[in-house]
Amino acid sequence: MSATRAETAFLSYQRTIGLSTMEGRGFYYPADTAIGADEKLYVVSRSLEGDARGVRVTVCNPDSEYFGTFASSGEEDGQLIWPTAIDIDPDGRVFITDEYTNRISIFDTSGDFRSAWGVSGTEEGQLDGPSGLVLDGDNNVYVADHQNHRIQKFTSDGQFLLAFGSRGDGEGQLNLPWGMTIDGQGDLYVADWRNDRIQKFAPEGRFLATYGSPGRGDGQFHRPASVAVDPEGYMYVADWGNERVQVLDPSGAFVTKLRGEATDSVWALDFLRINVEEAEARARANLEPKMDFFDDDPHDESSHIEKYFWAPVSVKLDSAGRLYVTESNRHRIQIYQRG
Amino acid sequence: MSLANGNRALVVIQLSGGNDGLNTVIPYNNELYYDQRPSVHIEQGQVLRLDDELGLSPALGPIKRLWDQDKVAVINGIGYPNPNRSHFRSMDVWHTAETDKVGSEGWLGRAIRDLDPKADNVLTGVNFGRGLPRALACKDVPVASVANVETYGLLPDIQDERAKALALKAFSMMYGGADGKDAVAQFLSQTGMNALKGADILRTAPAKYSSTVEYASTPIADSLKNIAQVICADLGTRVYYAQHGSFDTHAAELDSHAKLWKDVSDAIGDFTDDLREHDREDDVVILVFSEFGRRIMDNGSGTDHGSGSAAFVIGGPVQGGMYGEYPSLKPADQLEGDLHFSTDFRSAYSTILEQWFGLDAVPIVNGTFEQLDFIRR
Amino acid sequence: MTESNVALVAHLMRRAGFGATRSQLEEYVDKGYHATVDELLHPVDPQRMPDEMIRRYHAEQSGMMGQNSPGAYWLYRMISTTAPLHEKIALFWHSVFATGYTKITQGKVLIDQIRMFRRYGLGSFRELLVELSKDPAMIIWLDNQDNHNGSINENYGRELLELFSMGVGNYTEQDVKECARSFTGWTIANTEYMELRARRDSIWPYGRIAWHFEYREEDHDDGEKTFLGETGRFNGEDIIDIICRQPATARFISRHLYHFFVADEPPVPQWPYTPPRDPAAIETLSRVYFDSSYSISAMLEALFKSEWFQSKETWFEKVKSPAELVASVLRLTGEFERPRREILDTAMHIVYMGQHLINPPSVEGWHQGVEWIDTGTLVERVNFASKHLGNLDAPGVRAIVERIKSQLGPMISPERLVDGCLDQMGAISVSPESRNVLIQFASEQGDLTVDGPDANGHVDRRVTDTMQVIAATHEFQRA
Repeated sequence: MSATRAETAFLSYQRTIGLSTMEGRGFYYPADTAIGADEKLYVVSRSLEGDARGVRVTVCNPDSEYFGTFASSGEEDGQLIWPTAIDIDPDGRVFITDEYTNRISIFDTSGDFRSAWGVSGTEEGQLDGPSGLVLDGDNNVYVADHQNHRIQKFTSDGQFLLAFGSRGDGEGQLNLPWGMTIDGQGDLYVADWRNDRIQKFAPEGRFLATYGSPGRGDGQFHRPASVAVDPEGYMYVADWGNERVQVLDPSGAFVTKLRGEATDSVWALDFLRINVEEAEARARANLEPKMDFFDDDPHDESSHIEKYFWAPVSVKLDSAGRLYVTESNRHRIQIYQRG
Repeated sequence: MSLANGNRALVVIQLSGGNDGLNTVIPYNNELYYDQRPSVHIEQGQVLRLDDELGLSPALGPIKRLWDQDKVAVINGIGYPNPNRSHFRSMDVWHTAETDKVGSEGWLGRAIRDLDPKADNVLTGVNFGRGLPRALACKDVPVASVANVETYGLLPDIQDERAKALALKAFSMMYGGADGKDAVAQFLSQTGMNALKGADILRTAPAKYSSTVEYASTPIADSLKNIAQVICADLGTRVYYAQHGSFDTHAAELDSHAKLWKDVSDAIGDFTDDLREHDREDDVVILVFSEFGRRIMDNGSGTDHGSGSAAFVIGGPVQGGMYGEYPSLKPADQLEGDLHFSTDFRSAYSTILEQWFGLDAVPIVNGTFEQLDFIRR
Repeated sequence: MTESNVALVAHLMRRAGFGATRSQLEEYVDKGYHATVDELLHPVDPQRMPDEMIRRYHAEQSGMMGQNSPGAYWLYRMISTTAPLHEKIALFWHSVFATGYTKITQGKVLIDQIRMFRRYGLGSFRELLVELSKDPAMIIWLDNQDNHNGSINENYGRELLELFSMGVGNYTEQDVKECARSFTGWTIANTEYMELRARRDSIWPYGRIAWHFEYREEDHDDGEKTFLGETGRFNGEDIIDIICRQPATARFISRHLYHFFVADEPPVPQWPYTPPRDPAAIETLSRVYFDSSYSISAMLEALFKSEWFQSKETWFEKVKSPAELVASVLRLTGEFERPRREILDTAMHIVYMGQHLINPPSVEGWHQGVEWIDTGTLVERVNFASKHLGNLDAPGVRAIVERIKSQLGPMISPERLVDGCLDQMGAISVSPESRNVLIQFASEQGDLTVDGPDANGHVDRRVTDTMQVIAATHEFQRA
């Protein structure tokens, strides 16, 4: 029981924002969220293949205020096919990776396209599936060049600086890396997806530490997608394949885990207000059923229990100690407050 | 009608995704419309007025022009009993004219079968797009599905022209001569030869065609241009099918709905101009429909799935005007927040089948429905 | 290794799987025919593209909101698995227990049903029918949520007997009613909300919610029933026990297996009036059904090891279904060794060819055999196969071309080119007429010289031209 009390104290659920929509206000298979000035959130939706709609950046804030969208689906300038990560620099430039076109597109916060860079290939400076992206304090860009199983560092206009990592499961090696973050010292944390671990690197790429091991237990990971680090060094991991968020302390010891407790967002309530029969039937339904699941993959559980995380692809922290968990399959963001 | 029945053609344009009928044919003098559509409405001043009550969205300019020429029948409140608000089920209902059970034969497939009972012409029905809509599906009715007339045919991916010609020759040798083959092989062979023949005929259409009309570069305009080419080539095609979408405007509706309708409406305008230039305007009736309408109340940025919508029948042979009653927007008259239908869609089908094609509509639409007199006599 | 062994294993792999490359065939031949059958039925440590890989790139194949992602996901499995019979048996049961998107309006519960077919489809038919009766998609598809104590809805009860186990003519209308009574209370949880969401195609607010079975004791009619001559206070499982004991069930399932794996039979509604193509085969399978306590894998083992299956008479007797055609082409071309965005467009060709996976046209499923073919679908089939087999960027096509050049060069006659392509494309045996046409096609372009550098890719192109025409042969379109 004491463990449970400690867990709730560490992170407490605040609210949910989002709604499943292909256009305008809402998200459609969101891939990542960036936090800009004035608490503005930039949520990039990946949408689905076979439909030109849905891909966009939705700008909103934690209070569900909606400010508009920018970018669209395609291969032209200002367009995206498989957007995966988004980050914002202090000058208000928005960087978005595209795993399909192997480009990094740059917009300003009003949504105007600025430029794009990136060349397909396996040589240094070339990209095969840029997934995670994070900016350092000097406005350089780390890109998880994931099909090349390495991290590359570029200047913000795409000049190659350095690369590290190779395919494997040894220390400092990578297998299909995904999300990344940077701590106060400038050290880089990488969600080493296929190796079921988080690795920490010095700014120039020197291996520093590895956290976690494959599995579904506490402190273990299954295909982690994203990591965030707070000023004290606690790590928050989107344990994607386990459909949960885990927190590790600075030494890597397990602290707590979250399974998700989403509630109706402001936009969801707008929908339910107009669609009264659905609201009434929803109110009468038991959305947290007890049932037997097909297998031990929590993906199945999350498909049945709406409040649980389903495909948590991104964790981000803001300066107020709030944790934003973006869930691709649920088209929403759950917000938790650090206690 | 100056032309023999055999030239009469029907072009069906499917608006996929559920067109917002209320923002297409707008009750611009009705306060209830503006009350229930606080965010997603067309301003009174922008409406293209058809009469004192109803007007078109400004995106439908070319259709308004045709209305002024008395060539547009607006069918208000079109739908069916116990409406289903799922795209797929509702589209199936429209395709099969079967409201109670899941039907497998399409109404146009049956019409093609009755127009060409011996399947003499492999091009009696032509679908523009990939995959056959269920509306055109009917056993033993050949229908060509064409992405683009100019590239349509067998083995388009053999790059070298000479190799391709030889490959097509090989195909015709393998699929020709069914002697001594089993029943499956005979059927395959005959179908293969029909496909080859259909493709060969169809590909001649663009070469025979010239026009001063310049279509926009949109998918629906491409399809309608292809249809004009086939019509002008006199290949005996009677039923054409094309679709556009997605009209599923749950969010940011005002912009997207206007763009969608501009594409459709401009394409129809160009298409009818093209037919007139080729003196074929009186041979073609266009039916424009969608699987359902949308909720009366908007959701702040778009509209959700509803029922009851508007359809259009357009063309030289059409007696323009309003058909069917515009549904009431009063809360007490609503069906779970949606419009009640006033006109069964099978009435429109029956009218086209009987008055335009001279077919017995009853077995095609599974019943007897009131005729709407929108075909000029 | 004799060539006839290779051709026989190729036949097996076309039927029990989705075809195989020449080198895979050689591995199977080395194992032996019977051992290959055993491995297909009981694979050890099967490999395929993992779900996590698919879900990472294709969000919609994880969330499964719509109607097309299940087909793309399933196609990944069909083309990447080392246990193809598991996918084939799921396809088989999907065509027998046809459940469609139009009424379910979400991919998740339908792909969950396919997953159930994979797990139970080769086991006991009794267990499978129990799982089927609890399957949420099936319950909504055939209205069993409306089947209440005191107010029955017969839809599921009827189809269970007519289409899923015995076939018409083997039970009375009274049996249908008693069967339906026995399945009262078998429903899905949150019926009202889930049904409403399905009817409204709702993805709001947060995407689809999967369905699950719920048994409502208070809504179950626990009274006495008389079903097929037996009397008791039957529940659904008791009814399934009785169904499984019926010779009619054995024959019906045997005929379905024969129809799918051996040779096309007429559409199911004609079965009561048309005798089976091979009554002795049906008798054999029926006997195995009872001897093995309704084991589908035992029936299939008997089927694949029978003379009538292996007989050349049955080779190429079936028309490939669109899913089989597309999967067999992609297993040759190897284009999706890692997830690629193009999988959806590729899978859509199955739809264009007339088979929308997870959305069969009705509860009767697809009519098979020649009904797959019309002018539109034939064009799609030939063009799809020829387009992909002509793609030299595809690793599998490249491998075939290199093998032909190295094994047959430097001077390749038209005969050897044609025979080499047929062999490398999976030991395809074509009729003498087809072969002659292919040779004529090849000879009109002259002998092929594989000597020195192929600067402009001329040699490669000649090989793929031939493969593209082979894609159009009857034999390639059949299985």
